[in-house]
Amino acid sequence: MLQGALAGLAAGGLYAVLAVCLTLMSRLVRVVNFSQSATGMFGCYVAVWLSIHVGLPTWAATVVGIVLGTALSALLGWIISTWLAEADIGTRSAVTVAVLLLLISLSFILFGNKPQPFHPVLDGPAFTVGGVVVSQVTVVTVVLSVLIAVGCRTLLTKTSFGLELRALSERPTTAELLAIPAKPLAVAVWAVTGLLSTLVISIVAPSQSNDATSLAMLVVPASAAALLGGFRRLDLAVIGGLVLGMAQGAVAQVDSLSVVRYFLPFLVIVGLLLWSQRKEVWDVAR
Amino acid sequence: MSRGEAGPLTRFGIPLVVAGAAILVGYMLSVGLDGYFVYLGMSAIVAGIALLGLGVVTGSAGMVSLCQLTFAAVGAWVVSWLNRIEAPGGFLLWLLCGGVAAGLVGVLVGLPALRLRGINLAVVTLGLAAAADLTLVQIQFPGTVDGISVERPDAFSDDRNYFLLGIIVLTACCLLVHFLRRSRWGSGWQSVAFSERGTAAAGASVRTSKLSAFAVSAALGGVAGGLLTGQVGLAFPASFTAMQSLALYVLAVMSGVHLIDMAIFGAILWVAVPELLKRWGVPQDWGFVVFGLLGTHALVTGGNLGVAVRELVRKRSKTAAGVELTSAVDDVEVLPPGEPVLVVRDLSVSFGEVKALSHVDLEVPSNGVLGVIGPNGAGKSTLVDILTGFLPQATGSVELDGRSLNGQSPTKRARAGLRRTFQQDRVPSGLTVGSYVRFVARRRLTSAEIDEALEFFGCPPARTPLRSVDVGARRLVEVVGHLLAKPKVLLLDEPAAGLPHEEHVAFGARLRQVPARFGVSVLLIEHDLDLVRSVCDRITVLDFGQVLASGPQAEVLANPAVLKAYMGETEML
Repeated sequence: MLQGALAGLAAGGLYAVLAVCLTLMSRLVRVVNFSQSATGMFGCYVAVWLSIHVGLPTWAATVVGIVLGTALSALLGWIISTWLAEADIGTRSAVTVAVLLLLISLSFILFGNKPQPFHPVLDGPAFTVGGVVVSQVTVVTVVLSVLIAVGCRTLLTKTSFGLELRALSERPTTAELLAIPAKPLAVAVWAVTGLLSTLVISIVAPSQSNDATSLAMLVVPASAAALLGGFRRLDLAVIGGLVLGMAQGAVAQVDSLSVVRYFLPFLVIVGLLLWSQRKEVWDVAR
Repeated sequence: MSRGEAGPLTRFGIPLVVAGAAILVGYMLSVGLDGYFVYLGMSAIVAGIALLGLGVVTGSAGMVSLCQLTFAAVGAWVVSWLNRIEAPGGFLLWLLCGGVAAGLVGVLVGLPALRLRGINLAVVTLGLAAAADLTLVQIQFPGTVDGISVERPDAFSDDRNYFLLGIIVLTACCLLVHFLRRSRWGSGWQSVAFSERGTAAAGASVRTSKLSAFAVSAALGGVAGGLLTGQVGLAFPASFTAMQSLALYVLAVMSGVHLIDMAIFGAILWVAVPELLKRWGVPQDWGFVVFGLLGTHALVTGGNLGVAVRELVRKRSKTAAGVELTSAVDDVEVLPPGEPVLVVRDLSVSFGEVKALSHVDLEVPSNGVLGVIGPNGAGKSTLVDILTGFLPQATGSVELDGRSLNGQSPTKRARAGLRRTFQQDRVPSGLTVGSYVRFVARRRLTSAEIDEALEFFGCPPARTPLRSVDVGARRLVEVVGHLLAKPKVLLLDEPAAGLPHEEHVAFGARLRQVPARFGVSVLLIEHDLDLVRSVCDRITVLDFGQVLASGPQAEVLANPAVLKAYMGETEML
């Protein structure tokens, strides 16, 4: 059980970073980005392709992939903040569903639908706890998720840039009237989350099931984690991601429970949502 | 041109004739088409049935469902399983069982939808689709591993005849959806998509509307899955991936599949786009890229093909239908107010520290019109919310015709005969005036009854689509619907707010006759004192959540405290 849980921690760190990205997006630019992990997946696939077919060294290919993921995300952000500036969160998010579909099928076309021969960026064990090996990937993703969450929180609460971002998210029109550049800021948020998700997927993908669909669907456990924080709180999003990863790892150890592992994110999502929305009997407050 | 709706012959006849023609065309296609096109056509039929389902849950009822093919997988699983255990009844019965089973799963998935909306529901359904996807790959469909092929019915065993069967099933599904959409369920779907509060106020259950939409949609998905299994013989997880569910959803949004013809058109696109790409030497996966791009475009611009095509064809006039209250009304003897029919005692509610209402008493006499007036923020709309059950935390008692309504839901109160209208526009734009009035009235109405009531209030004719009716007129249509429900008491929350001022008096004259004409007592909330003066026998004045004065009209309006609250001290000359 413990071995499974620790093995699941790498995935947990991945969920946590993606959950932090989803939370940032939902808070700052009013969108639940269903294509969050698909963008990262696409960047990573391009990196793999570059290293195999162009012969770029792994690190250089990875950097190009991350830049591409960032640019893709920024482009999508630009489209949404140009044409759907005043739309509600549902419509804005529905666009990302279409983009998710688009990215998965593009990657099928360009790279086929088999898992990619990733070169691990990180390899090998970091240390051993009670006879269980903890890999470097696990350590890095978990540390990264915590650092990102703490960093974003500090940025949002302690700097004037963060203040502008929060003003933008809560009162977009008022913020614009105060000469806060709404669109560049929104696009910047998209770019940063694109960068973070491509980065973390580059690190974890070599040691996970890494076909296009699995990587793109990481958005499901990630939203389960983000929901623990109600798409508002970064700390709970990180905890949610780590716990979910460990739980899945632990359940995976028992053969008879393997189907449960697939349904775990779904059950978590339903449970958390029903609890948090239990008083939302009506569609509108009045 | 008659003002009313189409007669029963046209309502039932035309769809049946169209269905007959469709089957005939299907038969000719099944005989005349090339074998490969028959195969493609079958795939389009399967997609069409799944899209019809999405048209119900997403198009009509406005709920995001990203797991349509998971329901299809349930149907396929049941059909494969029944085939493997050699269950009696044959393929058609298995298909039906598949549909029913998927419908039940749909109800389960719909349960969270009672609290979740929009984006949350999208997360839930995508989660389900992803989990089902992985599970199916692991457990596989019954019989697939052993290669036990599903047996088609004898009469439809070869591909051409099976295509004909598909056409018949598709036609039956289209008819089902057509008639359901015109039934109370269908109106409920449209209504719940627009406003849940409005739905409950019409005495319809929000729960039934949402769950029935999910059930019907999932059942159609299940039938599609079962039919696909019969086509291929074996069911494979690759036919039911989360990604294809996403693509179907995007296609549904893009083509506007709440319209039946657009569901068929979407199904043709579903097959034709990859096929054309293949013929042009482009990999078929570009099909989803095309859908993704078109879907993004449709969502960004907020339009869809179905609506665009219809607007091209109809060239609908841009001017909205409004209210015409110019003609004089016949005099009706106004009945004297009788015993109180709605009795309210000691009503209080607070929101946190704010006491919105405290210790309010009031009585609506039978055959009477009680006016409730007061400055902004006096608690008038809160009063209506409490009386109709939308604020269950309120204390005090509400009795309708001697029966206590305490603890009852808004739906139950509406059914018991206490109806309300809203200050906001809560009239679903997807229905026609006539079908909305029937939905709200909740009883059998003749077309003549509807026309008469609409004409009395100067509303647009019954066949007008509500989306081309202006807001003021929509709110009068809402009033007409609730009056035709023959409730004991109707609470009107600023019904004249959308009308030009000169029509207020004409509206007032009609409102005055409501108790005599419709047998309904009225509680009227209104800002326009002229209107209140011309309509109300008695008036209750609210100020800061308390009753300031109550009694016969002249007495209350002469009360200095009322003048002060209403006009402000300086204007009190």
